[in-house]
Amino acid sequence: MSKVVSLQEAIQEVKDGDTLLFGGIVEDRRPVAAAIEIVRQRKKNLVLLGTCSQSGDILVGGGCVAAYRGCYTSNGAFGISPNIKRRAESGTIIIDDIGHLDVSIGLLALQAGVPFIASKTCIGTDILNPAYDNLSKVAEVAGNKEMLPNKKYVLMEDPFFDMGTVQLIPAIKLDVCICHVQMAGEEGTVRIDGSLAFDHYGALGANKVIVTAERIVPESYIRQEPNRNCIPCTSVDMVVEVPWGAHPGQVYNYYDMDIPFLQEYANSCSSQEGFDKWADTWIFGCKGHEDYLDKLGASRLEKLRALPPYGYVPRRKGGVK
Amino acid sequence: MTQQYAKISEYTPAEAMVVYAARFLANFDGKKGLIGTGLPLVATQLAKMIYSPNMVIFVETGQADANPKELAISIMDSRLTYGSSWQMGDPEGLYPLSRNEIDFGFIGGAQIDKYGNVNSTFIGGDYNKPLKRLAGTAGAVDIGVFAKTTVILMAHQKRRVCEFVDYLTTPGWMVKKWPEGTLVRREELGMRGGPGCFISSMGICKFDEGDKIMYLDRYFPGITPEDIKANTGFDIDVSRATEADPILVDEIRILREEIDPLNIYKMR
Repeated sequence: MSKVVSLQEAIQEVKDGDTLLFGGIVEDRRPVAAAIEIVRQRKKNLVLLGTCSQSGDILVGGGCVAAYRGCYTSNGAFGISPNIKRRAESGTIIIDDIGHLDVSIGLLALQAGVPFIASKTCIGTDILNPAYDNLSKVAEVAGNKEMLPNKKYVLMEDPFFDMGTVQLIPAIKLDVCICHVQMAGEEGTVRIDGSLAFDHYGALGANKVIVTAERIVPESYIRQEPNRNCIPCTSVDMVVEVPWGAHPGQVYNYYDMDIPFLQEYANSCSSQEGFDKWADTWIFGCKGHEDYLDKLGASRLEKLRALPPYGYVPRRKGGVK
Repeated sequence: MTQQYAKISEYTPAEAMVVYAARFLANFDGKKGLIGTGLPLVATQLAKMIYSPNMVIFVETGQADANPKELAISIMDSRLTYGSSWQMGDPEGLYPLSRNEIDFGFIGGAQIDKYGNVNSTFIGGDYNKPLKRLAGTAGAVDIGVFAKTTVILMAHQKRRVCEFVDYLTTPGWMVKKWPEGTLVRREELGMRGGPGCFISSMGICKFDEGDKIMYLDRYFPGITPEDIKANTGFDIDVSRATEADPILVDEIRILREEIDPLNIYKMR
């Protein structure tokens, strides 16, 4: 059965107050077009999980996020994610920091269907500081309170291998997981090139999974090599074809990052007025993703197209030595 | 490479920091390192080219034995994928740490204290309304907990190199035991590893075998131990320090021409 829908239809399934994980990391293979559509549809009180970088920060700027719980609030080389930085510094967003392995293990627990997993991930650090524990505030704003655990963590002595104090890390439960990938079959089978980030964990456990893909191919084609596939069709609810859907970020084997665009975003969004102006151009000034691409222009996009065999645009003409 | 020395005026403090870090990584030729984002990626790329070609690079977005042909600018950069032995996702990128496979972690940060604790979360004000919100943990907490040793790279300024971090992101030698937050030696919590070396824009600091407090080991040419004392937020022991070997013309040339020809990292 085909699960192909339009981007607008897919994003209508995201509900106010949902806990949400975006696939990809930093500015790489992020569902930016989906994030833009969420802002366009003016969703509210979302709980952003995992990281807040290129796609998540657009939601924060667009006023869609009430709380963030994760391990990274930066756009890497382009600076701290400007919208969440501003909101954090004005005390107008709830932040609950956890570690990178905490996110991995929390999503592993989700994928495995278990309530928690023990590790030493944040022992000794301020991640475990009760004064900085904002989990209950996050749960307060979430639409479905039962998606958040009752406690941030529990410490106990390892009863099996005498590893000393370990931390019980609860599952990270997702209402929605949105991934942008290179290729999907029309029934939802997903193939990812390059880093899988958390996509292969989040998509297996989320209640609702939306996949935007550079290309939708016949399901029979993607099933010729099942071992190459990363998310099964059985876990995916909706598939949308969104070429250049992670612009201005990278998609391995498809395109490289649009550095001037990322710099412009970083510079523009240091104030809310700056973000609003950016949004007037790139979100509300476009009817949809096709309009966004037309505004960028074909020649700009062509320069970003990845070169085989590297999967990116080598900085030196003629490829890398 | 020729042994011709560069003049101090021929490189910037950021370039010096990266070159000395690359030299330090010669200690890890043939070892496995998990490399964080930012200048550690640059120093690693330089080290791999001239000092530790057999260093094995792991990245937290799931690359095993990454061999980037050109400098990555993002921690999930496509440049880290091409040529790696194995490409999975973030969990598989981090599990080598918790499996105790990683010989050294290499990170930057915004603040380091005398026990080698690093802060990359917020500076000043309150957690819920910080003066400056930063990147958060990323892999920095995991590296600090699990790597057999940690190398830290950061510009040397009084507000950055301090008595105690505003927020303890990466655990050093004296860490917090919860729920009270009592300061204890990391071994007391069953933690292995710990910070081995802090390379700054002015010198190289290590940690005393006994009390685990940071001391100055080397100062860079053109910098005096007094300069470092004046730019450190606690009374740092400089009595054991000697001057570092000068930077080579070729090290700067390779850094500028081969590693970052477009000056993406704005080191110059």
